[in-house]
Amino acid sequence: MIHFTTEKGTVRAVEGASFDLEHGEALGLAGESGCGKTTTALALMRLLPGNGRIVSGSIRYNGRELTDASDATLRRIRWKEISIIFQGAMNSLNPVQRVGKQIAEPIVIHEGVDGDDARRRAEELLDLVGIPRSRIDNYPHEFSGGMRQRAMIAMALACNPKIVIADEPVTALDVMIQAQILELLERLERELDLSMILISHDLSVLAETTEKVTIMYAGKFVESGRTVDVLTDPKHPYAQGLVAAFPDIRGTRVMPESIPGAVPSLIEPPSGCVFHPRCKFAFDRCERQEPALDEVAPGRRAACFLYPTVTEVPPRTLLTPKP
Amino acid sequence: MRVRDLRVWYPVRRGFLRDFFGRSSAWLRAVDGVSFDLRRGEILCLVGESGCGKTTTGKALLRLVDANAGDVFFEMPDAEYGRDETLRTDGEAASNEVDELRRKFSLSWKESRKWTLRDFLGLIVALVTASFLAITVPALFVGFFSVETAMSGSWNILGFGLAVGFLLGFVASTQPARPRKRVAALLAFLAIVELAFAQVFAFAVSAQFHGVLPLDVAQIYGTLWSTDPFAMLLGYTFAPILAAGVANVVIGMRLQAEGRAGIVMRQLRRRLHLIFQDPYESLNPKQSVYEIVSEPLLVNRLATSPEETMARVGRALKDAGLYPPEEFLFRFPHELSGGQRQRVSIAAALVLEPDFIVADEPVSMLDVSIRTEILQLLLDLRRSRGLTYLFITHDLSLAWVIADRIAVMYLGKIVEVGTAEQVIASPQHPYTKALISVVPSPDPRKKAQRIILKGERPDPADIPTGCRFHPRCPVAFERCGWNADEVAEELQSLQAEGRLPGISSIRAVDPRTIRVEMAPGSPPDQAVAALGAAVVAEKDSRLAFRGISVIRPSDGFVDVVLHEWEEPELLDIGAGNAVACHLVTPAKTFEAVTAGAD
Repeated sequence: MIHFTTEKGTVRAVEGASFDLEHGEALGLAGESGCGKTTTALALMRLLPGNGRIVSGSIRYNGRELTDASDATLRRIRWKEISIIFQGAMNSLNPVQRVGKQIAEPIVIHEGVDGDDARRRAEELLDLVGIPRSRIDNYPHEFSGGMRQRAMIAMALACNPKIVIADEPVTALDVMIQAQILELLERLERELDLSMILISHDLSVLAETTEKVTIMYAGKFVESGRTVDVLTDPKHPYAQGLVAAFPDIRGTRVMPESIPGAVPSLIEPPSGCVFHPRCKFAFDRCERQEPALDEVAPGRRAACFLYPTVTEVPPRTLLTPKP
Repeated sequence: MRVRDLRVWYPVRRGFLRDFFGRSSAWLRAVDGVSFDLRRGEILCLVGESGCGKTTTGKALLRLVDANAGDVFFEMPDAEYGRDETLRTDGEAASNEVDELRRKFSLSWKESRKWTLRDFLGLIVALVTASFLAITVPALFVGFFSVETAMSGSWNILGFGLAVGFLLGFVASTQPARPRKRVAALLAFLAIVELAFAQVFAFAVSAQFHGVLPLDVAQIYGTLWSTDPFAMLLGYTFAPILAAGVANVVIGMRLQAEGRAGIVMRQLRRRLHLIFQDPYESLNPKQSVYEIVSEPLLVNRLATSPEETMARVGRALKDAGLYPPEEFLFRFPHELSGGQRQRVSIAAALVLEPDFIVADEPVSMLDVSIRTEILQLLLDLRRSRGLTYLFITHDLSLAWVIADRIAVMYLGKIVEVGTAEQVIASPQHPYTKALISVVPSPDPRKKAQRIILKGERPDPADIPTGCRFHPRCPVAFERCGWNADEVAEELQSLQAEGRLPGISSIRAVDPRTIRVEMAPGSPPDQAVAALGAAVVAEKDSRLAFRGISVIRPSDGFVDVVLHEWEEPELLDIGAGNAVACHLVTPAKTFEAVTAGAD
């Protein structure tokens, strides 16, 4: 549970986020803007801004608890164990520093090697992500958007991390460049045996790259499971709406659906299930009680009263699964 | 609306001196020959990567940027269009008639008047007349008075002439809202009348002031002329020349910038509208919703009373799905959600009740769950008002669901156009194929074989020869436009790998020839054989080698000659589909020489 203190009150940015990331796995975190995806990712690395704090819950990495870890422990873990590709490659690089130097910086800091070794390593990293070595002394403005994103990836890989968190790695890139970057990420995951957390608002991107996916809504996890299952047969009404909102270029030519209403304020979230004001299946219990993220089928969890207690409520037609 | 061969080129500045000496030949060809038709009530999607010229095309249609060439015919009757087509085939002979048609129907028509001999003669006659009048007329008037000089002193005369001339010329050139040709002589005449009257007036005032009876004016005038002929001449000719000159130049510039089309555009602006991409950027944060939506009405003076303005704003807001309108009228953009903001932009476009809307990425900044509502709104408006859309998007899957027809752009040119089904389900152009293959599908079971193109789009200031897609095209072949620089580069990289023994240097001598120099003591035949073998072996991994036509020894060198190429045209392949690719469209005659050793 992560809360932000603001002038207007406490923002309950993320509540009840729980997932497991296994070795070599790619996990997707999906949801609309403001639903807490990035906050969750930042919390994993304990990088929340000053007014945010983890109120409860635990983050365990290889049996180590991170929520109350000391700064020294965190320093050992950050970048060497868990690294992050920040959102917006365009703006995450320092415009007045050469790209090579920026990539070498974490190597110098975390591995204690000298500048020349770090530079050699930076060259290798550029090779790895498909940027010619000769561009090592360029400034970020000399790079195209795709190359900047590649440089960001190189930087995240600088200290051989085990887990890479990629926050919207392909947003704002052209579809062709997007495909190049996704392929690069897939190749790196395979070759370097990485675990990845991929954050994206675009379900189609996650569909292509991840094995497991979690859908967030207004700071809550509403559904998780294998990507194939969640995206082809979503259980939670929000997940159903979200999946149906994406046009499918390989599917039939139908207008995507929309979810009426707007995302609620996180300062005063609706009572009970956060989605009930927009949910077309909502019934009285949804308003009173908050559903837990329970197992609804093997390996699948959904936070919705329609499922675990299906016998308690009058039978109703569910949305037909998307073909 | 028919768009024909539209071009928007921006000059690339290469430093003052280079621009000054010799016109800059570097152009950034943002839109480079785009043609398409748009029928009433149709949605045409323009898709392509960023920087391919989609937005520029959309803006050029509305004349928000000026096209350098080409036509945008709006509401042109078919018969007239047919006439235009046939006239164009006649070439130069019919150019006047073509121009007449373009002047009448083309939104991008620019009046470009060249200076003819008649203009020069007219100007000279005007100036001579003006000078003559300037000298004689005031003398006539002044003849009736006799005052101590009110206008004496050379600088006074000169300054007065300058001021009157400039003022008149400026007023004459800026006053009309719509530029009209003014005869230079008329302006000159006005200047003189003004000067003379002012002079007389000044004399009269002076006479009153000094209480001197008007007597020997002619003498005074004579004295003025004899003592200060230079100042008089200058003062009295400067004014008309300046008036005529300023008016001529300014009017000429306006004619060039706006011309007839500019005048027509003012009326058409009410019927052609644009919805901008980013609702967070395109709304003025200091204006309330009412101000934003009513502005087009006020600018076009379409509403006569505040009540009518309010009624029309309310209707537009309601149409855009902001209901009840009263609740939104006096909100500011920061009080609205993203979807509501975009609805406000749509309302601002709708308030003039346009027929044609260019929607530039209207939903790309919105969350998916509200995206569809906006799309649905646009579709509903088409049904209820018969709107026509040019929908600009980078998202092919979006184009797939909303477009009637799709046009795919690459580097300023349309490479494929057709109905949505045809373009998406059976793409013909290699670029379209690749683009479609990389669009992710939300259904993980439908992973497609992705065709990932190498590299990034080339610089539009430096467009590749031949087919502009060939350097990235996975199936490029002989006549796609491989030029000597590209092939030489590949050969040099082979040489760097040490696979071309006995060769010392490789360089491109002209666009179709590469000269290879041998190391001393190495016979040309050996080099030819080495090159041939390497080229044949690498033909599939280095596509540029496919452009090689002949390798032959000449004068102690070896010349590598390339195939001829030409840029593929957008040709119909039936059923309204058109593709610009040599692989799809029927080939013209080319020398049938296979690549490789000779």
